[in-house]
Amino acid sequence: MSASMDSTSFSNEEILRYSRHLIMPEVALEGQQRLKAARVLCIGAGGLGSPVALYLAAAGVGTLGLVDFDVVDYTNLQRQIIHTTGDVGRLKTESATEKIKAINPFVNVRRFDTMLTSANAMEIFRDFDIIADGTDNFATRYLVNDACVLSGKPNVYASVFRFEGQASVFAADSGPCYRCLYPEPPPPGMVPSCAEGGVLGVLPGMLGIIQATEVIKLILGSGEPLIGRLLLVDALALRFREVKLRKNPECPVCGANPTVRELIDYDQFCGTRGEESAFTVAVPEIQPEELKRQLDAGEDIFVLDVREPHEYQICNLRGHLIPLGDLPQRVHELDSSREIVVHCKSGARSAKAVEFLRSIGFCHVRNLAGGILAWADKIDRTLPKY
Amino acid sequence: MIRVVLPAHLRTLARVTGEVKLEVDGQVTQRAVLNALEASYPMLRGTIRDHVTQQRRPFVRFFACEEDLSHESPDALLPEPVVNGIEPFLVVGAIAGG
Repeated sequence: MSASMDSTSFSNEEILRYSRHLIMPEVALEGQQRLKAARVLCIGAGGLGSPVALYLAAAGVGTLGLVDFDVVDYTNLQRQIIHTTGDVGRLKTESATEKIKAINPFVNVRRFDTMLTSANAMEIFRDFDIIADGTDNFATRYLVNDACVLSGKPNVYASVFRFEGQASVFAADSGPCYRCLYPEPPPPGMVPSCAEGGVLGVLPGMLGIIQATEVIKLILGSGEPLIGRLLLVDALALRFREVKLRKNPECPVCGANPTVRELIDYDQFCGTRGEESAFTVAVPEIQPEELKRQLDAGEDIFVLDVREPHEYQICNLRGHLIPLGDLPQRVHELDSSREIVVHCKSGARSAKAVEFLRSIGFCHVRNLAGGILAWADKIDRTLPKY
Repeated sequence: MIRVVLPAHLRTLARVTGEVKLEVDGQVTQRAVLNALEASYPMLRGTIRDHVTQQRRPFVRFFACEEDLSHESPDALLPEPVVNGIEPFLVVGAIAGG
């Protein structure tokens, strides 16, 4: 990776700060100058973005861009270590910039307090050399990939879920891109998000540090980048597996005859237009207010909770618990003649349950719109949210 | 005994922890392993392969012995270490958490 040598002279303070790099022949003064000249864009200042930004700042990357429209909330603090309790409610980019500056005031931080979209991605990417993808949804992952391929910039990728993570470097001029690996996203609702399925707090730390390592290697031009390889991390077994990836010659964006020549509508591509998933709009629903009214009126409503037992322990509506995965084997516990309202945490799993129950002849079954989280927002604010 | 590693969300769906171990009669191919997997865990039908076409879904890939087997024929023999249970057959799915 070539880097401009402009503005890369160091003060005595910087020499001291980077001394552990400067005495390594693989970095030395020239490498540190490359780091200072480098411009790295972090997409997302969350679980992955936190360690990426912190370590790149500490390492002396000269310009760090942060793209995030979100504000810090309490559920972020278990893993998004760039933010503190006092930052709750603040813009993540604002909070992160403050920490980066505290670690290394020599870093130039460029904030983009906006959602990355097809309309702004190429413009934002233009002033950066390397992109680190730390987003939390499929639509943005495909957007980042395509914008990287179209702009010829490496995409240093990682993703996490529960105890597992994946990392790679997608540099389409010399290896596969994200679409070569996964040509299409899962249908909405099929693969749970971290908000639905959880994530071990340290896991994005592990994967984010791998991303930061790969970014630094690309800047230095040293070592073997994770191009054409996918690293699979299982934190529970503490096992790292590496598998080879091949470029797909028919890839629609980086293949020999690309059909994606400009950024597309990624919400449409991923089937995530609007806030509700395809599952939640396809089945009959009941709003929390209406369920409350019917229960208060003493109507015969059977509340079915399809979450996991450990979620039921956090909060519940005193519904009958049958986890979604057990439903086919335990359907005999349900009376098809009764009015059944199914709920989960946010409505996606329960929509699948409703779809399943209706497919086997249950006619009076509805999905609680927004799940128990909507109930906590609209009906019972004493209920803990998770 | 064939060892199969599933993505976390499919382990939850199948109500298993860790690797799945399967007996596969006859030749050990992708198709035979996936048939045995779906026979033992019917809830996995449609999640790895399309219900109708039985094709691998595009957000899932197959690996073994560090190699990508996703584009191999479903009827090609799996590598010897997989057949012998030394190496697992990896089903890897797209995740997006960050």
